[in-house]
Amino acid sequence: MTELVLQALFSGVLIGGVYALVALGLALAFGAMRIINLAHGELVLLAAYMAYLVESRTGLDPYFAIPLALIVVGVASWILFLLVDRIKDHRELNSLILTFAIGIILTNAILLLFASDVRTTSSAFLQDAVSFGDVYAMRGELIAFVLALVLMGVLWWWLKSSWYGRAVRAVSSNRGAAQLMGINPTRIETVSFLVAGALASFAGIALYTMSVVQPATGHALTVKAFIITVLAGVGSIPGVFLGAVLLGLTEALTVTFASSALQELAGMVLFLLVLFFMPNGLFGARARRG
Amino acid sequence: MLKLDAVTVRFGGLTALSDVSFEIPQGEILGLVGPNGAGKTTLFNSISGLVKARGQITFDGKNVIRLPLHRRARVGIGRTFQIPQPMHHLSVRENLAVAQVFGAGRYDPKRIDEILTVMELSHKADADAASALALQELKRLEIAKALATEPKLLLLDEVLAGLESNAKRTFMLKLRELHRLFGLTIVIVEHDIETISELCTRAVVLNFGQLIADGTPAEVFANPAVMESYTGTAHA
Amino acid sequence: MSHSASHPAAGSPAGSSTARGIALGAGLLVLALVPLMVGASPYMLGLLISALILAGLALSWALLGNLGGMVSFGHAAFFGVGAYASALLAARLNVPVLLAIPIGGLFATLSSLAMLPALRLSGPYFALAILAYAQIFRILATELDWLTGGAAGLQRFPSLPTVFGLDLSERAGSYVLVLACVVLFALVYVVIRRSHVGTALRAIAESEDATRVVGVNATVLKTWMLLLSAFIAGVFGALNAHIIGFLEPDYAFSGIWSVMPIIAAVFGGYRTVLGPIVGAVVIYLFDQVVAKSLIPVGHQILLGIVLAVMVLVAPNGLSGLVARLFPRSEKHHAEA
Ligand SMILES: Nc1ncnc2c1ncn2[C@@H]1O[C@H](COP(=O)(O)OP(=O)(O)OP(=O)(O)O)[C@@H](O)[C@H]1O
Ligand SMILES: [Mg+2]
Repeated sequence: MTELVLQALFSGVLIGGVYALVALGLALAFGAMRIINLAHGELVLLAAYMAYLVESRTGLDPYFAIPLALIVVGVASWILFLLVDRIKDHRELNSLILTFAIGIILTNAILLLFASDVRTTSSAFLQDAVSFGDVYAMRGELIAFVLALVLMGVLWWWLKSSWYGRAVRAVSSNRGAAQLMGINPTRIETVSFLVAGALASFAGIALYTMSVVQPATGHALTVKAFIITVLAGVGSIPGVFLGAVLLGLTEALTVTFASSALQELAGMVLFLLVLFFMPNGLFGARARRG
Repeated sequence: MLKLDAVTVRFGGLTALSDVSFEIPQGEILGLVGPNGAGKTTLFNSISGLVKARGQITFDGKNVIRLPLHRRARVGIGRTFQIPQPMHHLSVRENLAVAQVFGAGRYDPKRIDEILTVMELSHKADADAASALALQELKRLEIAKALATEPKLLLLDEVLAGLESNAKRTFMLKLRELHRLFGLTIVIVEHDIETISELCTRAVVLNFGQLIADGTPAEVFANPAVMESYTGTAHA
Repeated sequence: MSHSASHPAAGSPAGSSTARGIALGAGLLVLALVPLMVGASPYMLGLLISALILAGLALSWALLGNLGGMVSFGHAAFFGVGAYASALLAARLNVPVLLAIPIGGLFATLSSLAMLPALRLSGPYFALAILAYAQIFRILATELDWLTGGAAGLQRFPSLPTVFGLDLSERAGSYVLVLACVVLFALVYVVIRRSHVGTALRAIAESEDATRVVGVNATVLKTWMLLLSAFIAGVFGALNAHIIGFLEPDYAFSGIWSVMPIIAAVFGGYRTVLGPIVGAVVIYLFDQVVAKSLIPVGHQILLGIVLAVMVLVAPNGLSGLVARLFPRSEKHHAEA
C-alpha cells in the first residue's frame, strides 16, 4: 500500500516537470500578449512527433531530435504569432477562436502524417528502470525531470537578468508604459512566442521519452497547461512548477486508486474547485474576474 | 435624503476618501468642489456603487453601502460620468430605453421623448450614441440616461466643463429646470467658483480625500484653507 | 438633420432591415422545403437532417456568444445531457418522445446551473471552465453505467412517433420536425434580441459599467442566456438521439459537438441569427461531401483552415462578407 502511494507520488512529481514546461510556455505567451494560445499543446505534440520521426527513421536517441524540433516548432510558433498579431477587433475572443482553429489544423496534420497510433520511444536505454529503494522510474522519466528543472532554472535566470526578460516583464505588467520606455512590444511578443516554442520543443521530446503520445494528446496538454496556470496564477516559475506537480500527483493518485479513465476527471475537478473557491489561484497570483 | 457617515475608500495604499461625512436634504442643489484628484469622482463612485466603500451611505433611510451597482439605480440614485460613457452599439433612444426599463422598471416611450426634448437630443434620437454624438451632446446624453432611470438623487460630474460662459449660463438654467421639473436633489461637481455660487445653495469641499469645508458658497469660498487648496492646484 | 429615414443608424431596428430579414427568412424556409418537394434521396435527406441538428446547436452557441458575450468550448455537455435525459425518460419512464425531448432540454438547462459560478469568470477562463464541464459530463456518462449503459451505450429507446399522419421517424418527417425546431428557436432568438433584454445585452459587451449603472443586472441577464442556450442545445441533442436511435458517451459528449457549432457559427457570422444556420448547413455538407472524400481521415483539417481563414479575413462571417459586398448603408454593423 505505502509502496503504491510512494510510487504514485514519485511518478506524479516526475511528470509534473514536463507539465510545468508546457504550462510555462502558455504563461509566457499569455504574459506578453494577454491571449491564451489554445494551440500550445499542439506545438508540444509537434515536437514529440519530431522525436518520433528522428527515432523511427534514423534509430538515433529521441534527444537528437532537439535541433529539428526547435526549428519546426519555432517556425510554427512564429507563424502562429504572426497570425494572431493580425487580429485587431475583439482580440480576446477572436484570438481564442483562431488559436483553437490552428490547434485543430495541427492535430489533424499530425494525424494525416503519422496516423492515429499511440507512439512512444523504443530506446531501451530510456525505458530502463532505475530503482530507488521501493520506487521505480524509467531512465527517460528521470532525464526528462532533470531537463525540466534545468530549463526552468535557465528561464528563471533569463527572465530575471537579461534585458529581454525585463522587457517581457515590463510589457506583461504595463504595455503602455513599456512602450513609453522605448520597448517595442511586437518584438517582445515575438521573442515570447519563440521562447514558448522552444519550451514546447523540449517538453514534447521529454514527453515522448517518458510517456505516450497520439494526435489527441495536444488538446489534452493545452487543457492541462491551462489548469496549471489557474492553480498557480501566471505569476511565478516556482508557482507554476508547484501547480504542475500538484496536477501530476492528482492524476497519478487517481490512476493508482481509482482508474485511469478518471485521470482527466481528477484534473478537471481540481481545476473547477480552485477556480471557484480560490479565485486567485493556490498561490494568490492574479484576478481573473470578468 | 442622503447621509454619508465616515465614508472611506482605499485603492491599495492610496486613501482616496477618508472619513467623509455630510448630509443632503431633499431638494437641495449641492456643489461638490475640490482640486484635481481630491476624490470627487470617487465619492460619486461610492454613492452609485462603482467602488467599494467603508462607512455608511444612507439613502432614503436605508444603508445602501452593500447594495450592488445595478440596485442603486433602482432605489433612485442616478449619475453621470465625467468622461461620458454612452452604451455602445445602441442608439440614443435605446440608451434611454435601457436606462428606463432597467432603472425605473417600466417602459414609457412618451417619457423618453420628453427627456429627449428637454435634453435637446431629439434630432439625434436614432443615431448611434457612441459614434455620432459630439462631446456636449454626449454630456447631455449622460444626463438624459440618468433622468430615464427616474432618480430622486442626481449626481452630476463636471457636466458644465468645457462650455463657454453663455452656453454655461443656458445650461445652468436647464439644470434649474430639471431640478424643478423632476423634483430632484442634485449634487454637482464643478470647478468654477462663480457657477457654484450662482447655482448652489450649499457647497462642500474635498481635498486629499478629506472634507475640509461645508457651508454656503460664500462662506466656503471665503475660507482661506479652501482657497489655498483650490487655487494652489488649479493653477499648477 | 433629419436623415434617419434614409440612413438607418447602426443598431436601431430600422423598418427596411426588418422587412429584408423576414423576406430572407421566408425565402430560406421555402428553399428548405425544396428537398421534400423534389423528393431528395434518403441519403441527401439524412445529411440535411444532421446539418439542421448542427444548425440548431450553432444557433444555441451563437446566442450565448452574441447576446451573452461568452465563448463556449463545451456545448457538447448540453447536447449530450439533452440526448441522454430524453432517451432515458422515454425508455425507462415511458414518457412520450415528443414530451421527453423538451424535458431533455430542461435537463440540459439544469446541468448548466452547475456552470453558473463560471459566469463570473472572464473570457478564456469561462471558455475553459465550460470545456472542463463537458469532459466531466462525458466521463460521468461513461462511469454511471447503471443509468446510462456506460461505454456500451444505449440502444433501445423509442424513436419519433407519428403525428397527424406524418411519420416523424421517417426521413421526411424528421426533416420537417428538425426544421420546425430550428425556425422556432431562430424566432425566439430574434424576439429576445429585439427586446430590451437584448438591447441591454448588446450594450454590456463594451460598456459594462455604463450599462450596470443604469440598473441592468448583467449577471442575471447572462444567466438567462446561458440557461436558454443550454436548453436549445439539449433539445437538439435529444432530437438527434431519437432520430439516430443510438447513444454512447463518446458520441453524445463528443468534442465534435463543441467544435462544429463554433466553426459553423463563426463561418456564417455568429452575430446574426441566420449566419449560424446557413453556416452549419454549408459547413456540414462541405465536411461530409467534399472534405471526407478528399481526406477520409483527418478531414477536420479543412474545417480548421476554414475557421482560421474566416477569423482572419472575415471575422463577421459570411453575413459580414455579404454586408461588405452589398452595403445597405454607409455605417453598417454586423447585426442584421
Ligand atoms: N480605480 C482607481 N484605482 C486607483 N486609484 C484611483 C481609482 N480611481 C481614482 N483613483 C485615485 O483616487 C484619487 C481621487 O481621484 P478622483 O477621480 O476621485 O478625483 P477627482 O476629485 O474626481 O479629480 P478630477 O477633478 O481630476 O476629476 C486620485 O489620486 C486617483 O488617482
Ligand atoms: Mg473627477
